Amino acid sequence: MPETIHVPALARVEGEGGLYIGVKDGSVTEIRVDIYEPPRFFEGFLRGRFLQDVPDITARICGICPVAYQMSAVRALENALGASVTRQVRELRNLFYCGEWIESHVLHIFMLQGPDLTGHESALSLAAVAPEVVKTALRMKKIGNQVLKVIGGRSVHPVNACAGGFYSWPDAAELRALIPELEWGLHEAIKAASWAKGLPFPELEVDYEFVAMHRKDEYAILDGEILSSQQGILPEADFEKHYLEKHVQRSNALHSYTTEGNPYLVGPLARLNLNHEYLGGQAARALKESGLKLPLRNPYKSLLARAIETVEVFERAIRLIDEYAPTGPSAAELTLKAGSGAAGSEAPRGLLYHRYNLDANGLVEQAKIVPPTAQNLGRMEADLWQLAPQLLALPHEEATLTAEHLLRAYDPCISCATHFLTLTVYDA
Amino acid sequence: MPKTKLLVIGLGQDLRGDDAAGLEVVKRWQAEYPETAGDPELVVELSPLPGLSLLSFLECAEAAILVDAVQSGARVGTVHVLQREDLAAFGTDARSAHGWGVAETLALGEELYADKLPKRIRLLAIEAGGLELGSQLSVEVQAALPAAAQKLQELVLLLRQPEAGNEAETQQAGVLN
Repeated sequence: MPETIHVPALARVEGEGGLYIGVKDGSVTEIRVDIYEPPRFFEGFLRGRFLQDVPDITARICGICPVAYQMSAVRALENALGASVTRQVRELRNLFYCGEWIESHVLHIFMLQGPDLTGHESALSLAAVAPEVVKTALRMKKIGNQVLKVIGGRSVHPVNACAGGFYSWPDAAELRALIPELEWGLHEAIKAASWAKGLPFPELEVDYEFVAMHRKDEYAILDGEILSSQQGILPEADFEKHYLEKHVQRSNALHSYTTEGNPYLVGPLARLNLNHEYLGGQAARALKESGLKLPLRNPYKSLLARAIETVEVFERAIRLIDEYAPTGPSAAELTLKAGSGAAGSEAPRGLLYHRYNLDANGLVEQAKIVPPTAQNLGRMEADLWQLAPQLLALPHEEATLTAEHLLRAYDPCISCATHFLTLTVYDA
Repeated sequence: MPKTKLLVIGLGQDLRGDDAAGLEVVKRWQAEYPETAGDPELVVELSPLPGLSLLSFLECAEAAILVDAVQSGARVGTVHVLQREDLAAFGTDARSAHGWGVAETLALGEELYADKLPKRIRLLAIEAGGLELGSQLSVEVQAALPAAAQKLQELVLLLRQPEAGNEAETQQAGVLN
């Protein structure tokens, strides 16, 4: 039976986070997931800024999912102005997003959660015994990076997206040059999905409310309506009526709940369970061949959903590049007016909601950003409560690892963390 | 693909106080030494949170200077010049580190692509004070920028030479107060 579990700094999550499980007299008395959450700062920082500054600022909330923060932002701003974009702009945004999903999902599958499932302490120790696996992962990730670079001008914090579209069309030849690597990546993604199903996932079945963006014509990433397994379809503009944020005294971060006060789940499991029938041909085949029975309710198995989704985005990226033939202006002309607009999109970690209130000059009066990790915080803690009896039966180290692994499976993006080195300087 | 002779890369988050030190030193150096900074055989990058993408930058270069904020307990604004080996003592255990920092990324790169990484890597590190979101560069780091930019210039001049510069440069490594 373990004593109190305290992990002050979670490893293999993007940023800073901690975990505390209090145990007294053989019972779990307290569970706390501490996650540093920067969007509150950014909401203040955005006030008074011109609308076209917003995507470049929100991109900086997260080093790993800047495109998500840009896409929810530009779509919310366009909704505030009543503007619409061309099909070409939509498809290029879709491709842009595929690049980010490739990077983020591959990183998570192989480098963040993968080590938990293959008995390795880190990707570094995995690299020591299976260098080809890690090299393959890095090569796959790099393809996503290249897609971002060609479209966004640079791979970290891309700068080309704006409300209305893009500042310029990326070069078609540069995009087409990526196709051989994308095809190789698709092949590897299919192999990875097959490999992943054999991994030793811990047992846990949770009765979730799944929430994700939803479309009838494709596996929703960029846009759509909101679909809840409990509440059905909701317009994205009604998100705040159904999902509320509240301060929890023991945490710095806001926690999200349904109006009934229940935590809900966003992310790969929610998306795959709600939208699997809209997967493209190769991803649908990978799902079928995996033999997975949906709905998946084991949070550890979100890696499997990510693996299927990785096939989806490689396949989609190839199709979108094949079809890419830009004509006309790369951005719609916008007419400024006062108003409020909201939008959701699927960040790699789940639904990312933005709302902006603009004044007549296009300045932000109010910004609201609800990131996926914040929405899942309540769920992470509830899952840990459900897991508690299993944890109590384990030796302390194993219990700690199992709890940490659960949080890593969520791929929490504890954004905007500093990355400085803690350095020991040696005297010569 | 021919390699760039020398990569200079500033790392940091410019919304988090002294975490931006690496970016600011590179910008200062570009402003004060435009001729060197404009050398076509040099690639200069400013990159917040590159994580594992740092490897993609590095594999294109024969030599590299990483400019970053650090916390070592020294006086804020202290400029350290470190060699690759100085980073070996930490960062090999990703459990004790947040995400993918410079040290872990270099360790992974060496495990996988030792032959592709630059043979000569130096870290120009500026001791950071406050790192709160929304804060400005501290007065101490601000005051250290000219000396750090000058140090960067010296390192650039040394490293853009072929291997011959090695010996003199080794002697220069250490802490510049």
